[in-house]
Amino acid sequence: MALRYRLGIDVGGTFTDFVLAREDGGRFAFHKEPSVPDDPSRAVEAGTAHLIQAEGIAPGDVALVVHGTTLALNAIIRQRGAKVALVVSRGNRDVMEIARARMPNSYDFTAGRETPLIGRESVYEVSARGLSDGSIMTPADPEEIAAVAKEISAAGHDAIAVMLLNSYRDGTLEREVAAHLRAAARGLPVVASADIWPEMREYERALVTALNAYIHPLMDAYFDRLEERFKGLGVTAPLYITANNGGTISLATARARPVDTVLSGPASGVLAATRIGDHPALLTFDMGGTSTDIAVSEAGRLEFTNTTMIGDYPLMLPVVNVSAIGSGGGSIVWTDPQGLLKVGPDSAGADPGPVAYGRGGTHPTMTDCYLTLGIVDPDGFNDGKMRLDAAAAADALGEVAAAVGLDGPVGAADAAVRVATAKMATELRKLLAQRGLDPRGFVLCAYGGAGPTHANFLAEEAMLDAVLVPRLPGTFCALGAILADVRRDYVRPARQMVERGGAGWPRIEALIEDAAAEARAWVAEEGDLIGAHELRLTADMRYPAQAFELPITVPHFTPGTLQPSTLFDLYNAEHQRLYGFAEEDSDLEITNLRLAVVGKVAPISVPRAQEGSSPASNGTRRIFVAGGWHEAALYMRDTLHLGARIDGPAVVQQPDSTVLILPGWAGSVDAYGNLVIRRAGQ
Amino acid sequence: MTFDPVLLEVLRTQVQSITEEMAIALMRTARSTYVKDAADFATGLADLSGKFFAYPEAMGVSGFLDLDCGPTIRAVGDLEPGDVIITNHPYLTGGLSTHMPDLQLIKPYFHDSETVAFGWDFIHSADIGGGVPSSIAPRFTELFQEGLQIPPMKLVKAGTMNADFVSLYRANCRVPDLNLGDIKAMLAALTVGERRVAELIARHGAEAFRALQPALVDYAKEKSRAVQRKIPDGTTVFWDYMDDDYLTKVPIRIRCEMTVRDGEVHLDFTGSDPQVLAAYNVPTQGVRHPWLTLKLMHLVGSLDPSVPLNYGLFENMTVHVPKGTVLNPEFPAAVGVRHATAIRINDAVIGAISKATAGLIPAPSGGTVVPMVVAEQDPKTGSRSVMVIQSLVGGTGARQGGDGVDGRDSGLANLYNTPMERTEADAAVVVEEYGLREDSGGVGEWRGGTGLVMTVRVLAEGTAILGRGLERFVFRPWGVAGGGAGAPCEVILNRGTDGERNLGKIDMYEAAPGDRVTVLTAGGGGYGNPFERAPDAVARDVRAGFVSAKAAREHYGVAVVDGAVDGQETARLRASAPAPPAFGFGPERDAWESVFSDDLMCELSRRLLALPASVRTRTRNAIMNRVVPDLEAVSTRGLAALITDPELQKANLVAEIDQLPPVP
Repeated sequence: MALRYRLGIDVGGTFTDFVLAREDGGRFAFHKEPSVPDDPSRAVEAGTAHLIQAEGIAPGDVALVVHGTTLALNAIIRQRGAKVALVVSRGNRDVMEIARARMPNSYDFTAGRETPLIGRESVYEVSARGLSDGSIMTPADPEEIAAVAKEISAAGHDAIAVMLLNSYRDGTLEREVAAHLRAAARGLPVVASADIWPEMREYERALVTALNAYIHPLMDAYFDRLEERFKGLGVTAPLYITANNGGTISLATARARPVDTVLSGPASGVLAATRIGDHPALLTFDMGGTSTDIAVSEAGRLEFTNTTMIGDYPLMLPVVNVSAIGSGGGSIVWTDPQGLLKVGPDSAGADPGPVAYGRGGTHPTMTDCYLTLGIVDPDGFNDGKMRLDAAAAADALGEVAAAVGLDGPVGAADAAVRVATAKMATELRKLLAQRGLDPRGFVLCAYGGAGPTHANFLAEEAMLDAVLVPRLPGTFCALGAILADVRRDYVRPARQMVERGGAGWPRIEALIEDAAAEARAWVAEEGDLIGAHELRLTADMRYPAQAFELPITVPHFTPGTLQPSTLFDLYNAEHQRLYGFAEEDSDLEITNLRLAVVGKVAPISVPRAQEGSSPASNGTRRIFVAGGWHEAALYMRDTLHLGARIDGPAVVQQPDSTVLILPGWAGSVDAYGNLVIRRAGQ
Repeated sequence: MTFDPVLLEVLRTQVQSITEEMAIALMRTARSTYVKDAADFATGLADLSGKFFAYPEAMGVSGFLDLDCGPTIRAVGDLEPGDVIITNHPYLTGGLSTHMPDLQLIKPYFHDSETVAFGWDFIHSADIGGGVPSSIAPRFTELFQEGLQIPPMKLVKAGTMNADFVSLYRANCRVPDLNLGDIKAMLAALTVGERRVAELIARHGAEAFRALQPALVDYAKEKSRAVQRKIPDGTTVFWDYMDDDYLTKVPIRIRCEMTVRDGEVHLDFTGSDPQVLAAYNVPTQGVRHPWLTLKLMHLVGSLDPSVPLNYGLFENMTVHVPKGTVLNPEFPAAVGVRHATAIRINDAVIGAISKATAGLIPAPSGGTVVPMVVAEQDPKTGSRSVMVIQSLVGGTGARQGGDGVDGRDSGLANLYNTPMERTEADAAVVVEEYGLREDSGGVGEWRGGTGLVMTVRVLAEGTAILGRGLERFVFRPWGVAGGGAGAPCEVILNRGTDGERNLGKIDMYEAAPGDRVTVLTAGGGGYGNPFERAPDAVARDVRAGFVSAKAAREHYGVAVVDGAVDGQETARLRASAPAPPAFGFGPERDAWESVFSDDLMCELSRRLLALPASVRTRTRNAIMNRVVPDLEAVSTRGLAALITDPELQKANLVAEIDQLPPVP
């Protein structure tokens, strides 16, 4: 049988990244293609064609394509989605206007609230409404709904989202209303909240449903073009789309549930970090143009959050938990009237970008600092495809230096690195403190354009153990795409009191079985590449009348065998761990059941590093770090073999990034080909 | 600046982060809903004077930045490593604690056996004893009804918990286990701060840590002064009212005279009413206090978001508050609901700033936070459980260049609302409506935010609806620079039916199954002449349902037909535009002040303050009720209707004042 390949693609704002891997791990190739903002599928086509040709394989050798894109996210943030009508129960017309009644900033009275995703004039009330016990208060009135559908169509809407009060408890009435709307507003896609995410909280549920409708036409059209382009290339492999939860879903599922893919980019990066080594305590460090994202992973597990923010909107879905901790490469270095140097939050972004890009940027950025400090080579940026203007960067930083009274451009650049690093380190510590974790013992996995350049500064300041730079930090998310399993999440609100002896338990069992049946049915239709599947269960629980709940994940969950005593023991142990006591005799309330189904995809082995000659330095580079000038040894990444050891100060150049090793630190290559930088002597 | 500016920025980030890590430790391990849901807690690092040089940016209560631990620390005296001070006393802490559920903990941080800073945290605890569960009721008249008084003392002595204190404390609160769990979390947070301070000193040295503190304070002081220079030099006076003092229908007046000179701001609250019987008194102890300066802090933070959070922000502000007034009461006046009064202090300060220069600060918000509460009877035991089903606010005020925000107000507490679905799952009610209130935002070139409307239908026997601390039923949130007032609050039974009834300001309404109770909150004040609002903006408001076509025509001079502007008719309407007054107060306040003028009220207060505290308030209430005989009927008849003969009533007031002992 011919050797088969998997193609991972990640469409970003500036570049579209590709990783092509042979399933036996024997070959790995990568490519970066400039993105085409007005038709991203063209860059996908061009890059795929390039890689196939460069690797000398036939289009038919590609057995699987996994694709991720920020298209939907950008449409939401830039408010360029479809015109959506929201249909709600009477009395709930202002669900989008009031949202959760919070203001973004309690100090600043010039900060307004978010722009509602759907304006008041596009929200329609119907009389159909349920009650909190799942019963129907007012049934659907087909005539009324038909009239509403007519109004919605007449007003030029592209899609309809339906969210009736209490439909989280029973979605039947809501689906009935959706069906009437579908029949009456012919051609418009209609989506019901109970089908997207049936969790309590009407604003968040309306929003997740509306977001799905908002990006649906756009993503559907994009997927059409994507399919066409692959067909044109002769690539007939099944197409999967990366998801928010670090897994992938089939194209058919992605078409129906595009909201599951909105935050897939960062999730893929974190997933990749957990698959290229065996680190019990890992922090991902993805430093891009405008911000730096970080995620925590212990024992190779992804960490999820059940609500995350997309711009101003809370997204109530399980998402790999990624937090922004401060500046990116494009963050602007400036001074305030009192003469203090600041970094960010404003960013020069990709356009105009740093001063050194020569595209009209006049404010110095972090990238200008790395250049001025000698760390980044003006001729080696992005594989030498883009020359940087070092003199312009230095001039801009010189102005900052004069305003603060620092020693020239280098003094300003060094100060900016210290300020930015201090901010990142404090944010990192807070992130760990929220989890009750200590930074010591953590390894920082650095990727994104500037991640490998800045990671050692942060590791030193935050007292982390090591920095890990993967072989291909510039196309890391595309790599994550082809390492992921198929995965989808389900929720069942319960609010059920349970006794250890079993009272209340049958309803819990029924809810679990209901979710499991839905999950099994889905995964069975999701494609032939899925081998075995497993179910994972988390229960949100609390003692009666407790003010908050704790999520309890059941280890090695098997449906039908779970006993209430297992959940009681797990909950009491967790409560003991967090608060120093447990109420052993208390009943428990289960508020939500969360079930994930993971369809295993045969793993591809990440290629192992080969032994080779000890690395020869390519000369030196004069860099200013740790308070002084150093002659840093310069290495090319592709000359580093297994077991190679490099003492800092050193710079490792690679096509997609520049790695800095500080004095007092040393780098070596591990079995996976990662460059691991530790304190010298460890 | 003598301190290395790069190191200052680095260490500023780090000390603020220390206070945030303290907040995280507190949140992670605290157990009560006040901490977890309402975020009613705070943390900080104080210098040797006891004031905060570092404070969290967005965790817990932002408004307590200028509290002073100094008097509390000095009251305890000698401190050694491992000590922790506890107190909750509104009169013995120089204004640190302003009502008794607020437990304050202070820990000295040592380096080489010298104090280098103090760690501080507070939480609003679930209960501190007293006459009602959770310890707060507006009807209380003395501190002794409000719970256990804890003067400054050591909770922990050299690392050992004071067991005598703990057992006394346990015996005096209703939920001792919950409270002690929270105290443990507070202690853990102080330990986190201590460890982080020690790490910072190990890295940068004790000298740098000491020198950093005044450098940060100076930095904030410079920044805040730059903002305050935007207020022109001179003196302005403004006053505003609370509807009543809960136990009577007599309004409470808060008066602020602001004097500005080159960015230094002095707030003089002379002329504010004497302390009241109910728990609305604000125990500031007459010092520069967060409850008095909150709006100035918001002004500085809004116009320069980069200002570091420390007491330097307030160092260009001074205050004067006469003793015996509602803003500086004498022991043992009750203080539990002091936050309701604080909203009106904010409004008075907004007015004084707006008079000095319109456009710098928004018009006042809806000015009330209404916890809508349902009490349900257990059919078996007959006992009642109480739950807050929604926290209702008004809209925010409009500002130069921006409409107010509808149905939200972050002015005092920036809380999440309660989803309707959660309310219906927890309480035997149906929320029939929860939305924005039409025509409630103050009119103006920039419209005030609308209030809210919430209707609940009661399902079960033995259910009561409580609405405590309701405000802005009588005196409206006013408009600025020609803007109009927001609509006042209302509570209505069975709205829109034959049985509709205005319930006025409810305290507790015993509902029958099937009753529908509607609460309407006030809108924010408008800004600028409404006849200059862009006609398209008016039409948009009409289409969205925020403004009725009728109101558009009458108050904005814009004719909207089928959602579009009728240009010709609008031009005709606007040709005869009346010039609005600078401040739109609404008819109630205009009527009230035709009798109770500023000069008379100042003189009345001056004379009352000379009386002993025990008779001062009762004397005042008696006078007001004699001048307005039907004052008790205000909530159903409206204030304007009670001012039947302004000339005569004013003459009566003058005579009443003359009866009081003259004050030199």
